[in-house]
Amino acid sequence: MKILTLAFNNIRRTPMRALLTAASVLIAAATLSVVLALDRGYARAVKRELVDKTGVHLYITKENCPIEAASVVAQGGLSPLYVEQSLVAVSESTEGIAAVLPFQLFAETTSDGTRTDIFMGVTDAIRRVRPDWVIEKGGWFENEDSVILGAQIAQIELAKVGDRLYSEKLDKEFKVTGILRKSYSQDDGMIFLPLATAQRLVKREGRLSAIAVKLTDVSRMQEVTTRLRGRISQDYSVIGAKELSEGVLGFFAATRMIMFVMVGVAFGVSVFGIVNTMLMVVMERRREIAYLKCVGARRADVLRLITMETLLICVVGGLGGILAGMFITPLAGSMLRGTLVGYVPAGSIAAPSAGVALFSLLVAVGTGVLCALYPAWKAASIVPMEVLRNE
Amino acid sequence: MNSLISLENVSKFYKRGIEEVHALDGVTLDIAEGDLIAICGPSGSGKTTLLNIAGCMDHASKGVVRIRGEEVERGGERRLAEIRQSMIGFVFQQFFLIPTLTVEENVELPLLFSHHKANPSRTADLLERVGLSHRRHHLPGQLSGGEMQRVAVARSLINEPKVILADEPTGNLDSRNSAAVVELFETLNRAGIAIVLVTHNPDLAARCRKVVHLEDGKVVG
Repeated sequence: MKILTLAFNNIRRTPMRALLTAASVLIAAATLSVVLALDRGYARAVKRELVDKTGVHLYITKENCPIEAASVVAQGGLSPLYVEQSLVAVSESTEGIAAVLPFQLFAETTSDGTRTDIFMGVTDAIRRVRPDWVIEKGGWFENEDSVILGAQIAQIELAKVGDRLYSEKLDKEFKVTGILRKSYSQDDGMIFLPLATAQRLVKREGRLSAIAVKLTDVSRMQEVTTRLRGRISQDYSVIGAKELSEGVLGFFAATRMIMFVMVGVAFGVSVFGIVNTMLMVVMERRREIAYLKCVGARRADVLRLITMETLLICVVGGLGGILAGMFITPLAGSMLRGTLVGYVPAGSIAAPSAGVALFSLLVAVGTGVLCALYPAWKAASIVPMEVLRNE
Repeated sequence: MNSLISLENVSKFYKRGIEEVHALDGVTLDIAEGDLIAICGPSGSGKTTLLNIAGCMDHASKGVVRIRGEEVERGGERRLAEIRQSMIGFVFQQFFLIPTLTVEENVELPLLFSHHKANPSRTADLLERVGLSHRRHHLPGQLSGGEMQRVAVARSLINEPKVILADEPTGNLDSRNSAAVVELFETLNRAGIAIVLVTHNPDLAARCRKVVHLEDGKVVG
C-alpha cells in the first residue's frame, strides 16, 4: 500500500464533505482560468485588430498619452485635442511612408439610447492603408451625404445599397453607397463617411482626430518615426500601433482588476473551506492518527498523509475547475463583450489554452499545499499517549 | 530469558488543570522474551500509562526505560518510531481499523511506515493464524467485534514484533469473542512472542503467567 492509497481511502470516508471542498476549489480554479483566458484573449484580440489586421503602423495624434490616443482612435471619442490637416502633406512627403490616412472619428448614441454608432470620416487613402477594408456591395462615396456601412451595422439596420438612413441626433439623412466585407474587426460596426462631411458634422473643418500611417518597410519603423517627429511640431505625438494597443488595454485595467479581485475572493473562500475541512478531518481522526504513530508513523508520515489528502481534493477540484473554465470561458467572453465600456475588438475575446489550464491547476494545487500545512502540522503534533489517555 | 523491555523506578507525572497527577510512581518491571504478563488494577491506577511508556509512546518523568538494553530517553522521535516499528505490536480496545481499507490492507498498514514491501504470502499467513483468511477482502464494517480485534492482532504482527502490548483487548468483546482473542494471544505467546495485557478481566489475568497489580501508580503485587 502507498500513502496515496491510504489518503484516497481516507477521503472516501466523508465523500460529501470532500466533494463540497473540491467544489470550492473547482469554483476558484474555474474563475481563475476564465479570468486568465479573458485577460489573455482580450489582449490578443486588441493586438490582432489594431496591430496585425489594420495595416496601420503609426498614428500621429495630438495626445501625448497612448491611452488618450487610443480613446480617440478606438472609441470614437471626440477629444478636445486635434491634428491639423496640414500634417497630411508633411507626412506624405516623408521618406519611408507608403500611405497616409487622415480621419475624423465621432460617436453618436441612437435616439432610443440602446446603441452608440461610431462614425469615421475617411479619404480614399483608406483603401491603400487598410488592405482588409474592402467594399463588398456598392461602391465609393457618391457625394458628401454618402455613407459606407460596416457589415454588422448593415445587418442590424437591414440596410442595402441605395437605402437612406436618417440620424435624428445629427438631423441628417445619408445614402448608403457601399457595404463592407465582413472583416471581424471593429470596422464591421462602423459607419464610414467622407472626411469633409465628418469634419463639418462635428464642426472641425480642417482638423482631424488623428492620422494613420502605413510604412513601406516595417523594419524601419524607428527610423521613420524619428524622421517624422523631426518634421512635425513637438505638440504632436507619433505613436506606434503596438503602443496604441497597449493604450487600449489600459481601458481594460479596471475591469481586469475587478476580475482578479473575484479570483482572489474565490480562492479566499476556497482556502477557508479547505483549512476548515482538513482541521475537522484531523480532529475527528485524532485517535486514529495517534494509533498510526503507535505503529511507527513519524511526524513526516502524518504530514505527508494529510497533505496528500488535501492535494487529492485540490487536484480533483482543480481539474474540474479547468474543465468548467473551458465551457464557461466562451460564455463569459460574450457577457464581457456586452458589458465592456471600452474598446471592444471583433472576434472572440476568450482565449482558453493549455497554458492557462495548467497554470490554474498549479495555483489550485499550490493553494492546497499551503492550506494543508496547518492541519497537517496539527496532526503531526499529536502525542499518541495524550490522545489515547484523554479521549 | 533475554530482557526486551525494562522499566527501572519509572514515574510519570502530568498536569490535569491545576492538579498534578502521579500516574506512575517508582514502577520497576521487566518484560522478557516469551513472557505473558497481565497488568491489572482499578481505573486510574496507571495501567495504560505503564503500557505506553513501555511501548515508547510516552516518556517517563523519572526513571529509566531500556529496550534491549538501549535507554530510550536518549533516542529522538525517529528512533522511538523505529523501535515501535521493529519491536512492538500494539492492540487496543477500539481496534482502530481504517473503515475504507479491506482486512488485508489494514493488516499491511504498518508496512507503510516501516517502508517494508508488503508480502502477500506473509499477510495470508497472518490472516490464517487469526482465522480470517476467508474475510481478507471484507471491509471492517462487515466484521464482528471479535473479528475486528483479530484483524488488529494480525496487523500488530505484520512487522514481526518481539512483544505485543494490548490495552484492554477484550474490553469491547462478548465472552465468546474474548475467549477467541485470548486463545490467539496464548498461541502467539507459545510461538515466542511476549505478550503484555492490560485488563480488568480477572479470568483473562488468571491465564497469564505473571500478573502485575497497580494501585495509584504503584506496583502492589
